[in-house]
Amino acid sequence: MRVLTYLAHRLLFIIPQLLGIILVSFLLVKSVPGDPAVLMLGPTATPAAIANLRGALGLDQPLYVQFFIYVKNLLHGDLGTSWQTTRPVLDDLVQRFPATLELVTLSLLVAIGVGVTLGLYAAKRPNGWIARFADLYGLSVGALPDFWFALVLIFVFYTLLGWAPAPLGRLDMIVLPPPTVTGALTIDTLLAGDLQAFGSALSHLALPVLTLGLLNAGPILKMTQSTMEKMLESDFSRYEVLCGVPQKLVIRHALRNALPSIVTIISVLYGFLIGGAVLVEIVFSWGGAGQYAVQGVLNSDIYPVLGFVLFSAIFSLIVYIVVDLIYVLLDPRISN
Amino acid sequence: MLAKLRLFGRLALIRPRFAAGYVIVVIVAILAILAPVIAPFSPTAADSLSFLQPPSGAHVFGTDNVGMDIFSRTIYAPRIDLTIAILGTGLSALLGGSLGALVGFYSSGRGIRVWLSFALMRAADVLQAFPIFVFAIALVASLGQSIQTVVLAIAFVNAPIYLRLMRSQVLSIRSMRYVEASQVNGLSDFQTIIRHVIPNAMAPVLAQLSINVGWGIVLTAALSFIGAGVRAPTPEWGSMIAMGFQNVVTGQWWPSMFPGTMLAVTVFGFSLVGGSIEVLADPAKRRLLLRDVRLHDMARAAKTAERSSLGPV
Repeated sequence: MRVLTYLAHRLLFIIPQLLGIILVSFLLVKSVPGDPAVLMLGPTATPAAIANLRGALGLDQPLYVQFFIYVKNLLHGDLGTSWQTTRPVLDDLVQRFPATLELVTLSLLVAIGVGVTLGLYAAKRPNGWIARFADLYGLSVGALPDFWFALVLIFVFYTLLGWAPAPLGRLDMIVLPPPTVTGALTIDTLLAGDLQAFGSALSHLALPVLTLGLLNAGPILKMTQSTMEKMLESDFSRYEVLCGVPQKLVIRHALRNALPSIVTIISVLYGFLIGGAVLVEIVFSWGGAGQYAVQGVLNSDIYPVLGFVLFSAIFSLIVYIVVDLIYVLLDPRISN
Repeated sequence: MLAKLRLFGRLALIRPRFAAGYVIVVIVAILAILAPVIAPFSPTAADSLSFLQPPSGAHVFGTDNVGMDIFSRTIYAPRIDLTIAILGTGLSALLGGSLGALVGFYSSGRGIRVWLSFALMRAADVLQAFPIFVFAIALVASLGQSIQTVVLAIAFVNAPIYLRLMRSQVLSIRSMRYVEASQVNGLSDFQTIIRHVIPNAMAPVLAQLSINVGWGIVLTAALSFIGAGVRAPTPEWGSMIAMGFQNVVTGQWWPSMFPGTMLAVTVFGFSLVGGSIEVLADPAKRRLLLRDVRLHDMARAAKTAERSSLGPV
């Protein structure tokens, strides 16, 4: 019960934030130069038809009424229409979002693997060579632009070595895509039992996942290292050491106590990556939601951008709520 | 002054990475300033007869697919990249920092100011909930593509960071005795903030500034990379990388790799400088560092003593 009130409390704070996001997005749309009615009907439209459409879209209403119409449409799942694809933005996004999610989730797993492992070993010996390497690693990946690192990986592993496939999408041209179930190709190909397509999907994932995973391990590494150092210095760890508890066990207990901070940084990173993967998506022609949004901006097609912003905001909120639940599991002090 | 410089030199010895950061930043700045003197070619002159030439004596970094000299363009680029990043970051620090100082100063008590502070913090929450890069390109889309827009985008995206930083600094400074003393002595709130609060809150802001200039360069390059920032033929690292993108895939690495390496090294330099300011500005960390300097000195003294005597005593 306490957990439920706690969650309800958190949700209560989230709603105004979501409204704020919608308001800012709305203002951004409104400040885009050009009349949407003219854009939708094309240059040959008659003034009467334009006036008609403006009335139908509510464009002749004052700004606050337009905002209410916009929110009402959102609540009905209407995110507007993209004039590039001439399809509802919601359909476009639902189709593309799994590609982004698959890429981001796998990258996050790589980042967790690298970050937590390096952080643990660095914390174990704060003056050892692993700690020095971790330090340098954290500094340099923070400075590397992802689109540039992706290009270097493509040059080395595709152009020079020929190990990776060409950076053109998620599957080889000759491989038939599996029937869409989840939209994540690694899962769909396995469900269809198509091992060749699965291999192709994995090989296309390799470089983008490596790019995002390696470059975003920095924050996890830093957080793991600093919290673990603190935990290993604290009384309970010292007491264990004095009692002769094996080092492995001491570290495991320290890690258990360091988990809440590590989970926090991972959740923040997850939300960040959805929007942060945009450039890598473009470099690898990934066809995900981020690339769709950028193409929208470049062609003054604003609704895809808004849809993407809302999708990623809602996704971050879901992640935060899940993390709140995980906290309850991890930290008995919260549920009490 | 001389003593400080000497201390700085010793710091550089035991923390070579700090020195490396300053060296990188200074070199890039010098390249940007002296570009017209150093560059062998005009950065925008296309020689269609010699396109995609690999690095050679005439073109040190080679030429790109329209025949522009990559070396000249690479050293001209920081003029635009650094200017945009510094202006944008400065603007965000000015905007976010001054608002943050006010919010921190007035965040307790009662009245309209408290409500305004609260509203501002929630507005910062909303801004930070947006995916940074998409927010930046949406800004470019609605304000129109220009250098000013990129500056504004950098300012907007980073302002919440300074708002929070300044607020938390001011919150702790506000309860200090000297603030109380200045108010007892009849200084207005405004005078107190300007003379006593802000100067004491600046150190972490300065560290953040240097790191953010690095991020600003990346954001400028990233926007230009997708074609929403600075347009070719203006020399700019991001758009140069984009121009050479297809060439890299087919094996001509030089049009993208040289500007990309410069970009990465420059950003690295700024984050190193930020790190050093962070250490020097934090009293606890500075004490640790100075202890290291003394240890280093003692170790060296011991070594020379050992060498001058006839072996270990």
